[in-house]
Amino acid sequence: MLAALAWRNLWRRQQRTWLSLLSIALVTALLVFMLSFQLGVYATMKQSTLRLFDGYAQFQPVGYAEDPGLDRSIADPGRLTEDALGIAGVTVAAPRVNAFAILTSGGRSYGAAVVGVDPAREARVSSIAATIRSGRYLTPEDDDAAVLGDVLARDLRLAVGGTVTVLGAAGDGSVAADVLRVAGIYHSGVPELDRTILEMPLARAQDAFAMTGRASTVALGGTSLGAVDAALPALDAIGKRHGVALLDWTALEPAMHDVITLKYATSMLFYLTLVAVVAFIILNTLLMSVLERTREFGILLAIGMKPHQVGLLVWLELLALGVLGCAIGLAFGAGITLWFEVHGIPYPGLDEILAQFGLPPRLYPMLSPFTALIGPAALLLAIAIGGVAPYLRVARLTAAAAMRAA
Amino acid sequence: MRSGLAVAVIALSAGAPDADTILQRVYDNYRSASSQASVSMTVHRPEWERHLDMKTWTRGEEDALVRFVAPPKDAGNATLKLGRDTWVFNPKLNQVIKLPASMLGQSWMGSDFSYDDLSKSESIITQYTHRLLATEQIGANTVWTVEAIPKPGAPVVWGKVTLKIRDDDVVTEETFFDQDQNPARRLQTDRIGTLGGRTYPVVMTMQPLDAPGQWTRIETGEARFDLPVPEYLFTLSNLQNPRQ
Repeated sequence: MLAALAWRNLWRRQQRTWLSLLSIALVTALLVFMLSFQLGVYATMKQSTLRLFDGYAQFQPVGYAEDPGLDRSIADPGRLTEDALGIAGVTVAAPRVNAFAILTSGGRSYGAAVVGVDPAREARVSSIAATIRSGRYLTPEDDDAAVLGDVLARDLRLAVGGTVTVLGAAGDGSVAADVLRVAGIYHSGVPELDRTILEMPLARAQDAFAMTGRASTVALGGTSLGAVDAALPALDAIGKRHGVALLDWTALEPAMHDVITLKYATSMLFYLTLVAVVAFIILNTLLMSVLERTREFGILLAIGMKPHQVGLLVWLELLALGVLGCAIGLAFGAGITLWFEVHGIPYPGLDEILAQFGLPPRLYPMLSPFTALIGPAALLLAIAIGGVAPYLRVARLTAAAAMRAA
Repeated sequence: MRSGLAVAVIALSAGAPDADTILQRVYDNYRSASSQASVSMTVHRPEWERHLDMKTWTRGEEDALVRFVAPPKDAGNATLKLGRDTWVFNPKLNQVIKLPASMLGQSWMGSDFSYDDLSKSESIITQYTHRLLATEQIGANTVWTVEAIPKPGAPVVWGKVTLKIRDDDVVTEETFFDQDQNPARRLQTDRIGTLGGRTYPVVMTMQPLDAPGQWTRIETGEARFDLPVPEYLFTLSNLQNPRQ
C-alpha cells in the first residue's frame, strides 16, 4: 500500500521527478562509462606491457628476482611447463635461459642480456617476435641464429646476416663463448628491451652457458591476463611442488602496479565526490517537497497513519526515484560503453605506440559486472542513507501541528 | 719557528708513521718493474667449486697478462691489460675482444674479482685521503688500520676503503665500502710468506659480503720480480698466438 502511494506521489510533480531522474541517470551513466573506460585502459596497459617480454606470470628460482644469476636455475623446466599447461587459462609456458654477456662485432663491444628461448613458445608469450623490423624471428630449426633490438644492433653496427660474438660466464663458472648469426632485428619501442636483449635458441644457450636441461625462468601466457590471474593459486601450488617461486604481474612490473593503484585511488575519490554531490542534490529536492507537503502529512496522520509510516512513505519515494534513475543510467551507460567496446575510441597520437604492441590504434572500455554495478550501487546507497534525514523529520510530526503549519 | 714546528712533526711521525707514509711503504713493497708468477685460483660457490691455474706477467704498474693453463676447459683463455684498456682472448672463439670500460667492474673469469682488480694501481694512494684509525699489536707485529676516503670527484667506485697493514708493509685485510658506506667486499690475507725475496701475501681470499658462502681464493705458487720481460708479451698478437 505504502509503495503504491509513494509511486503515485512521485508522479504528482512530474517535472521535478523527471529532473531528479535525469540527474541520477546521467551520473550513473557517467560512472559506468568512466570506470569501464579506465579499467579498459589499465587492462590494455597491463596486457601490452606484459605481452612485450615478461608474460602474464613467471616461474623463477627462489631468490632470483632479488639476485638473478645462472647459479639460480630451474632444474626441470620440462615437467614444470607441462604441469603449468595443465591449468585452465594457461595456454603457453616458455622456458628461458637468461645470461649476461659481452657482445662483440667488428671491434665494438657492449654488455647485453642474452636470452635463450624456445622460438615457437616464445612468440606466443612475448610480442618481440611481432616487432621484427628486418629479417625474421627465430624458428625451431635455428641453431646459431640470434635476434636483437635495433638500438643494440645499431651500437654494434650489425645488420641481418652479420655475426656477433657472445662472451660471458657460464653457470659452472667457466667461460661461455659463442658466435651467432643475426637472423632478425626487432623494434619493440621500449628502449630497455631494444638496447639490452639478444635472443638465441634455447638449446644452444643451454649448451653455451652450461645450463643443459635447465632454465632461468618460465614465462607464462594465457587467453587473457585475467585468466592467468585466476589460475595463480593453482600455479602457485605447482611452483611449490617444484620448489620455484611464482611471480604474478604485480611482482613482474611493480612500478606499473604502483602507478595503476595510485591512479585508481585518486579517480575513486573523484567518483565518490560525484556520488555525494548528486545524492545531496536529490535529498535537497526531496526535503523541499516534504516541507511543501507538511499539511498533507498532517492530514495523513489525522486519518490514522502512524508517523513512522509517513516517514517510510517519504523514504520509499526517494528510493523509487533512486532505483529508477540508476536503472535508466545503467542501461544508458552500459549501452554507450558496449558501443565503444565494439567500435573503440580513437586516441590521436597514441596510434604509433599501440601499433608497436600489435594493438589497434584505439582504446576500448571494458564493461564488467563490477564496472556496471559499483557506481549505481554506491549512488543508491548514498541516497538510501541520506533519506534517513527526511524520514526523521517526518516521523517527528504530530497531526495537529502539521495541519496548522504554514 | 716554522722549521721548529716541522722538526716536531717529523719527530712525532717517527714514533707512529702517518697514514700516507704507511700506504706509500706498502705500495713500494709491491712495486716492481716486472713480475712473473704462477697463481692458482679457487672459486667457491654454495653449489660448486672450481680450481684454475694461471700464469701471470706484469710490467710496471698497469700492464698485466694472465693466461690460464688448467683445467682443460679454461686453458687458453687469457686477459691482457695495458694501461686502461683490457682485452680478453677466448680459444673457442679464437678471437681477441676488447672490453668496454663499462664492463671492467664485471666478474673476471666467474670469480669474485673484477677486471679492475687485475692491476694493483696506485689509485688508493693518489685518489684517496688517508687517516690512521687504530694501532694494535698482534704477536710480534704492529698492525695499523687505515681509512681511505675518495677525494671529491675521484673516479673510483668505492665510497670508502679500510686497510689493515702489518708493519712489514703487507696488507692483511682490505674492506671495500659502497657509496652508502656499507661494507661490500673484503680481501683477506690468509698467509704471508716470502716470495722472490719479498714479504708477500701468498694466499688471499676475496669475499663479497652480500653473498654468504661465496668466495675466491688466490694462491701465488712462485713469483719472480724485476726480471727482464720480453716486450712482445704485452701485445695483442701474443695474446692471440702465444709464442711460448
